[in-house]
Amino acid sequence: MNVKRRISPIADDGDEIRFCSTCAFSSACLSEGFSKNSLQDLHVLVEHIGPFREGDHIFREGDDFNAIAAVRGGTVKTYVVDTDGNEQVQGFFLPGEVIGLNAIHHSKYPCNAVALDTVMLCRFSFPKMALLATKMPGLQTQLFRLLSQDIGKAALLAGDYSADQRMAAFLVALSRRYAARGFSATRFHLTMSRTDIANYLRLAPETVSRVLRRFQTEGLVQVERREIELSQFKQLEQLARPVLRD
Amino acid sequence: MITPPPFDADLLRRYDRPGPRYTSYPTAPQFSGKFSEANLLDVIKRSNEDPIPRPLSIYVHVPFCASPCFYCGCNRIITRDEKRGEKYLEDLRKEVAMVAPLFESDREVMQLHFGGGTPNFLSPAQLNEFMQFLLQHFHFSASENRDISIEIDPRCVKPNDVAALAAMGFNRASLGVQDFDPEVQAAVNRIQSVEETLAVIHACRENGFKSVNVDLIYGLPKQTVTGFAKTLDTVIEARPDRIAVYSYAHMPQLFKPQRQLDETLLPTPETKLSLLQLAIEKLSQAGYCYIGMDHFALPEDELAIAQERGDLHRNFMGYTTHADSDLIGLGVSSISHIGESFSQNPRDLPSWEAAVEARHLPIWRGMNLSEDDVIRADLIQRWMCQGEIDIGKFEERHNIYFHEYFGEDLKKLQSLEEDGLVTVSPTHLKATSRGRLLLRIIAACFDAYLNPSATVLQFSKTI
Repeated sequence: MNVKRRISPIADDGDEIRFCSTCAFSSACLSEGFSKNSLQDLHVLVEHIGPFREGDHIFREGDDFNAIAAVRGGTVKTYVVDTDGNEQVQGFFLPGEVIGLNAIHHSKYPCNAVALDTVMLCRFSFPKMALLATKMPGLQTQLFRLLSQDIGKAALLAGDYSADQRMAAFLVALSRRYAARGFSATRFHLTMSRTDIANYLRLAPETVSRVLRRFQTEGLVQVERREIELSQFKQLEQLARPVLRD
Repeated sequence: MITPPPFDADLLRRYDRPGPRYTSYPTAPQFSGKFSEANLLDVIKRSNEDPIPRPLSIYVHVPFCASPCFYCGCNRIITRDEKRGEKYLEDLRKEVAMVAPLFESDREVMQLHFGGGTPNFLSPAQLNEFMQFLLQHFHFSASENRDISIEIDPRCVKPNDVAALAAMGFNRASLGVQDFDPEVQAAVNRIQSVEETLAVIHACRENGFKSVNVDLIYGLPKQTVTGFAKTLDTVIEARPDRIAVYSYAHMPQLFKPQRQLDETLLPTPETKLSLLQLAIEKLSQAGYCYIGMDHFALPEDELAIAQERGDLHRNFMGYTTHADSDLIGLGVSSISHIGESFSQNPRDLPSWEAAVEARHLPIWRGMNLSEDDVIRADLIQRWMCQGEIDIGKFEERHNIYFHEYFGEDLKKLQSLEEDGLVTVSPTHLKATSRGRLLLRIIAACFDAYLNPSATVLQFSKTI
């Protein structure tokens, strides 16, 4: 009856034979000659879980670590609570990205993970995955790549950057991440609240709005509620360059 | 939209059927008693979390009137007791003290409107005290665009009142007139001289008000073409920036005050149409632009300019130049529109007082809009303001295929298209000049809640 054309980021789900379109590991496995079918044969636990509703916790700091998970749909926020009781946002995870990697070193999750909207996950038993990686150099390389990306992400915003630079870097990075998974690079839905964005960028919420309002006046972006359009991507990239170091 | 809409009596007669006026979509009858205080708190919290939270508009309802006008369909209480105003303001302050802190402090108030009833039932001193309270609790924009407006009953205005209103920040006024014809005034129980009305218009001008609106009504008892022509000439000579010409909707089953009115004195449908025709012709000749629905404005007025730019909006307070803001309704019966929700305060004074005094957000009913509601609301709002939809832009904004999404609705439009009210092309939906007086009939085709049998009782007729 009512026909809608959906462009919001949700993975094209796979089936028993095909991988999900956003799968973080499919290319690594396929290049090793493993189809999804043969992974099942190796008894690797790949389990689709969810949906998690907005505000549901996926894991909490201190929970026993046994699995990493790839986001299939929705956005996951990770955060810790400091000794003063203040929340510190560590990162946002979009479809195709993997949560729980920072737990590999410990036996427990070092942060909390919460769904910001309706979240679907693909859960990998880590012990079994690690075992499989010893037999598949491609999978191991992919794991290392993901790990180093995760470490790098947190360090980027630690520098002495202006509010404009932080905001531009945030938007450009989101755009690149969406684009890498086949979604629009210039128009997306901001699933995170302004409080979360501000916390992540170490800015006041009013500053987030003030900078975005100015970006809008200057024609760099177009914001309507939570929909954002990057109208002048090159200029934003220019502004973000010191933070993103590229 | 400078040219006047052509007048086709036969067409208007055929389409004179009940229908919503779309100051909101979905319309108020769709609101549900299940919408709770917790729902509203959640909606407000979310509205604070947009990357750029919307600015705020505030509507304050003052329900009191010193005497009953028999045509009135508003929510009002007849009294001459000033103490009632004092008590009401005390409760309003309680409501403000509860509501204001829920909104982040960087959300500026761009628009404040006092409606009624009769807002100037309250004395300037009372209004000023309440205004100061609002200024302390909300962050008002310092921009020149800031609108602070009030509906004024000229019969209650004392010599220095307008200057006092200007001093406390009011910059727009809307005056109730209806008709200057003494026979009509007697029939509707509203005796108001030309002199006292013009004096208020002049006082508004002298005190720097940005705009003055005059409300007229056609279809009142004893109204004649000759008498209404005189009224229109008098009003046009005073040259208010905006003129609204409302159709009188006689619905005594719904509006108790109307039962006092002598039905036998109502003009015939033919006379009523002639009155509308007269108003359109006279106002157009005098240089007023037709904005839409019942509203006319001088070409240099912001409304006319905004409409030319495609930047006109519509909310419970009527047409406005302010882009989407979150609307906070304060006082008995007021409606709020926050985020994607509507909520309404109790319509009767005791319920509203009881809630506020118990320190609860006074909610009678409301609703959270579905995704479909949001899409249709945007379509209907654009339609009522511009009389035109750019299909490509609309598709992009909502991620839909327009002709498929609205397939059923567009079928309903076919007979209106055949009657020459609207043109439908692959790229645009456009009201013809003939269709401009019937915008709401066309909008109703896109109303998913409209059930023909239910509309008769709830809504007034189109003309």
